[in-house]
Amino acid sequence: MNTLRLVLRKLAGGIPLVLGVTLISFVLMVYYGPDLTYTLLSKNPTAEEIASVRAQLGYDRPFWWRYIDYLRELVTLDFGHSFSSGERVTSLLARTLPVSLALLAPGFVLGNLLGIAFGLLAAWHRGGWIDKLIMGFSVVGMSISFLVVIVAFQALFGVVLGWFPVRGWNVHDLPSYLYYVTVPTLASVFVALGYNTRFFRAVLVEELGRDHVRTARAFGAGPLSVMMKNVLMNAMIPIVTRVLFSIPLVVVSGSLLIESYFGIPGIGKATFEAITSGDQPVLKAVVGLTALLFVVILIAADVLYTWLDPRVSLDRAEAA
Amino acid sequence: MNPGADAPLTADVDARTPLQDARAAFLADRWAVTGLLTVLVCFIMALGAWLGLWATGWSELGDQRWAGPSADHWLGTNLLGQDIFQRAVASTRTAFEVGVLVAVASTVLGAVLGGLAGYSAGSWIDSIILWLKGTLDAIPFYLFVAAVAFALKGNPWAMHIAMTATFWTTTGRLVRGEVLRLKNREFVEAARALGLPHRIVLFRHILPNTVPVLLVQATITFVAAIKSEVILSFLGLGIQDGVSWGLMIAESSQEVLAGHYMNFIAASGFLFVLVMGFNLFADGLQDALDPKRAVKR
Repeated sequence: MNTLRLVLRKLAGGIPLVLGVTLISFVLMVYYGPDLTYTLLSKNPTAEEIASVRAQLGYDRPFWWRYIDYLRELVTLDFGHSFSSGERVTSLLARTLPVSLALLAPGFVLGNLLGIAFGLLAAWHRGGWIDKLIMGFSVVGMSISFLVVIVAFQALFGVVLGWFPVRGWNVHDLPSYLYYVTVPTLASVFVALGYNTRFFRAVLVEELGRDHVRTARAFGAGPLSVMMKNVLMNAMIPIVTRVLFSIPLVVVSGSLLIESYFGIPGIGKATFEAITSGDQPVLKAVVGLTALLFVVILIAADVLYTWLDPRVSLDRAEAA
Repeated sequence: MNPGADAPLTADVDARTPLQDARAAFLADRWAVTGLLTVLVCFIMALGAWLGLWATGWSELGDQRWAGPSADHWLGTNLLGQDIFQRAVASTRTAFEVGVLVAVASTVLGAVLGGLAGYSAGSWIDSIILWLKGTLDAIPFYLFVAAVAFALKGNPWAMHIAMTATFWTTTGRLVRGEVLRLKNREFVEAARALGLPHRIVLFRHILPNTVPVLLVQATITFVAAIKSEVILSFLGLGIQDGVSWGLMIAESSQEVLAGHYMNFIAASGFLFVLVMGFNLFADGLQDALDPKRAVKR
């Protein structure tokens, strides 16, 4: 019951956020996005033809009416039809989103798990050569551009070794999935690992310095048990926060780059094409749904905090 | 009677200012100094390219395409016969332009908005700034930058504006926290008791104390700006005319598949060296300016 109240209150608190995100992005697309009137018209259009196309695109209506329409579309999750392809936006999302999730999930999970594993290892040996080696690799990894990694991995695995495809996404079963997903996954793990390891190590080192860890050591608990039970479990809140809040960024920003480069028909590529072609219905859907996802994650984080740490009461979570 | 009055004077040992302390700590950190020197070398390269001392021929077309490294072309030539080494050096200038402008602009914006929010915490000014920050954070970065860059297409500053609009939020959050911590300290109360206007208290008395945070954030933003420039230029949303590592990598992405590696190696090598140098420098700076440093050791 308490949880339900918290969720409802957080949902209400998320409204200004959703309004802000949709308003800023809608101003950008309406006033600065490309004007499609003449793209859709034949040569030498009459004034009536121009007016009818503008009406069809919704350009002739006042900004605020269009914005209110947008909000209604967001509530009903019905964004109409794409300007460029005429496809229903919902079916476009249903087609591209699973591809992006299948593409990004392995890299996201592996990047975080390996980051935690290396973070644990480095934190346990802090100051020693293992720590220095891991942190050295992290800084090197952080200094290599995502773009460089993508181009290099593509050249290495696709051309020099010839093990994996250079472009495309022709997935119908598990072997073909592994065939297409491997290089993008390796690239995203490589890029995320440096940042993740550094973050997780910092959090774990802080926890290691606490008295309860010293007490556990004094009672003779072994390294593995201390690191897993005393350190990792107590550091779960910052770790969960980081992992959760990186989800929307990975889904949209991460997919944009990988999918444009590898020519994979996912949500990122569709979004990028919508930006450059002024396909407002698609952009409205992506931006609005990302904002909603953000609010859902804010709520999920609060619920998880109370679950991970019983000391975090719902009242305090509400006050925060 | 002042208990310290007859103690021996050891001022030259103990009375070092925090700044001198930080400098000593920084200089004792070998990696940090290596990073600083690397950045300085890159900066001199950029300055020379800017003043027209070298790398002036980066756009000259040659008749020999995809030539290997030679005395004339240290790193060979690209598809159009342009000298890859000169292009890579000239790109250093582009990188510094983007990095410095975005880092300075977002640090100033973050300091002002974060300062205002922290100083007026709980008021409507604070709420509006927090809302703006939350909103900008909830828009995925590349989507936002791409939209702004597209919105201001043809404007050479589109990319800088878009990055500044997103990068100030982290600085703003940290400054807000610092100001919240500082604003109830005695020196602020003293300034207020003197009847100084809020503007002076905030900008002359509180914000100067957040300089360590601002310095570290500026170096982190610099790195982020350079790395984003490369990706945006690759996507065609960044540098419009001129040369940058991102444009070079974009050119090279097809060449690499055909087995011509020099353009790619040169651009990513220069990029890596500058970013790595800056990362080491930023780490050292952060450690040196960390007030908890003395306690940690």
